[in-house]
Amino acid sequence: MNRARPPALRHHRLQAILTIAAIATSVSLPVVLLSVGGGVSEHEIEQLQNAGYEIVVSASGIHGVNQAHTLAISIDRIASVAAASPVLSVAVDAFAASGGPQPVLVEGVLPASFTATEGPTERALFPAPLPLGDGSDSVHYAQGSYAGAATWSVLVSSPFLASSGEHVGSSLVLSPTADRTAGVRFNITGVFGVPPTSLGPTAAFGMVVPLSDLQLLVGLAAASASGAPPLDAADTVQVALAGGAAGDPAQIARVASAIQGLVPFYGVSSLTDQVDHVRAASSVLTGFYLALSSVALTVGLIFLALVLVRRVESQRRSIGVARAIGVPGRLIAGGIVRAGLMLSAIGAGLGVVGGIALVLILQRFGGPAVELAAGLAVFDPRTLLGLTLGVVALSLAASAIATRYALRLSIPEALR
Amino acid sequence: MSSADAPRIVLEGVGRTYGEGRAGAVRALDTIDLEIPPGQLLSVEGPSGCGKTTLLNLLGLIDTPTRGELRWNGTPIGHLGERERTRLRLSGVGFIFQRFYLLPTLTARENVELPMRAARVSPGDRHQRTSQLLESVGLSERADAYPHQLSGGEEQRVAVARALANRPGLLLADEPTGELDSANTEAILQLLIRSRAESGATLVLVTHNPNVSARADRHIRMRDGLVVGDGGGR
Ligand SMILES: Nc1ncnc2c1ncn2[C@@H]1O[C@H](COP(=O)(O)OP(=O)(O)OP(=O)(O)O)[C@@H](O)[C@H]1O
Ligand SMILES: [Mg+2]
Repeated sequence: MNRARPPALRHHRLQAILTIAAIATSVSLPVVLLSVGGGVSEHEIEQLQNAGYEIVVSASGIHGVNQAHTLAISIDRIASVAAASPVLSVAVDAFAASGGPQPVLVEGVLPASFTATEGPTERALFPAPLPLGDGSDSVHYAQGSYAGAATWSVLVSSPFLASSGEHVGSSLVLSPTADRTAGVRFNITGVFGVPPTSLGPTAAFGMVVPLSDLQLLVGLAAASASGAPPLDAADTVQVALAGGAAGDPAQIARVASAIQGLVPFYGVSSLTDQVDHVRAASSVLTGFYLALSSVALTVGLIFLALVLVRRVESQRRSIGVARAIGVPGRLIAGGIVRAGLMLSAIGAGLGVVGGIALVLILQRFGGPAVELAAGLAVFDPRTLLGLTLGVVALSLAASAIATRYALRLSIPEALR
Repeated sequence: MSSADAPRIVLEGVGRTYGEGRAGAVRALDTIDLEIPPGQLLSVEGPSGCGKTTLLNLLGLIDTPTRGELRWNGTPIGHLGERERTRLRLSGVGFIFQRFYLLPTLTARENVELPMRAARVSPGDRHQRTSQLLESVGLSERADAYPHQLSGGEEQRVAVARALANRPGLLLADEPTGELDSANTEAILQLLIRSRAESGATLVLVTHNPNVSARADRHIRMRDGLVVGDGGGR
């Protein structure tokens, strides 16, 4: 027996495909926004929580945190402080044996303090102790005179080392300008790895040198001519607390305010505060994403309602006949609701799959920044399930509109 | 084969006006007083626009009168709620339309099953009765065909089977042979007359075809929304 589909059903199939595509599109937007947005802030929070230090002293401006060595020592004396690590980040030009100047971000650190404030990620990437000669950087610094011997040692990140053609034991010239003759020759004494994603602070720099060497190289260290304190700059001082205090917000707050007492005009912030800030910013963003998504979803559902109403319209005659025969309204409503649920469930399912696929595509072909962000995407099954169920539930509203329309049709008019 | 008892139908001053309250109100039915005893084969004739379809819609409870009262066995039912009227239509009325009006997305079998599904007849009984009905209209072989795969005569036979599904006491046929050739007209007519004879249902038949009305027990003639003639067989 021939079971060819009737023309009416073929006509419906096209409508169904278009509706499913519309709903899937409107669902994939929130999937992408929520998973990537959530992933990026989760990553930021993770970075903060794995930092290995709890408090950051920072000051903007060309000199940043002045008298960094002295300040670190004063902070070290505060109870519960395990280490204070001043860090200066400066972009300089590196000259390897071959090739021209290569801009690179260099961090100047006190080697021992840096090691004491490493988080778990960094601990796995850096040699300990750092092979930078003078662990406390006190010989060169020499109590503010910079008269002691500099080590001129440099640790190089593994990608930089690979691309420069140098090796541990060779040397390169670092210069504050593109002029090689203004530079100083540093010995490569070690190498460090970079984390798999480079949104974190550690991967942002390509080299580590002793703080005083970098200060001298870029002119941020100078003996005082007039007896005033010498210039001795850093960007930040990262402060790690000892043992139990590190996990105790009250202790962190106490130490932070003690530090603030030492440097009333610098910013002193605890990472727990920063985590809170990231969370707050992230929830604002999430709300924004949801608002944006709900616009997309509303458009998708309006489309669904339109198609269901359209379907009722095209089935006017059939609905009239069914009702004339005595088919109860609830059966007719049931058919519409079933169609709505099916279209929205398939659409939402495909939207979730499509959204995930889109993120995966962005991870591979999105351009550097997008690929990184997409790489951090977190697909929370509860969010995705909630989204799907929400869309399916909202489709009931669309079905209700179409049902109401269907049941208000006048039977004699539908039959004419 | 037992049938729902055919009701004694009484129309008292029944009228139907469309677009009432507005300038262009149309009196589709003026004032109809009519009594239809159970089991009668009644033919309704009259020129186009005289109100035949309107009368059938009122008799079949898919429309409500704007004046007067409609009774089944003495009970007023013209103004029942939609739910109640749906229930009465399902169990008590079988419609046959000029243009067949099978549901295009259902097969012949599914079309015949539809009223029984709506009446929650068990799948077993439903299947059996559908097979019986399709056989009685000579379409057992075409049970799985969709309407677009059937000829007009076949479609109308399916429609008759569908109208008979729940053994209604009242069959309403609005020009059921209007789109059929003479051979098919004869077949459908035989089918309707035989079904009525078997079930004892009342059959109200709108027709322009004198051969069709010749089989009726009684003829009413309408003009301008009024019954202008009422008599026995010619
Ligand atoms: N919904 C409506 N609104 C306004 N006028 C209507 C409506 N339905 C029917 N009419 C009018 O009521 C009158 C009776 O219509 P009806 O369909 O009952 O005629 P009929 O006798 O069945 O005609 P035909 O033989 O052509 O089928 C006609 O004048 C028609 O135009
Ligand atoms: Mg008519």
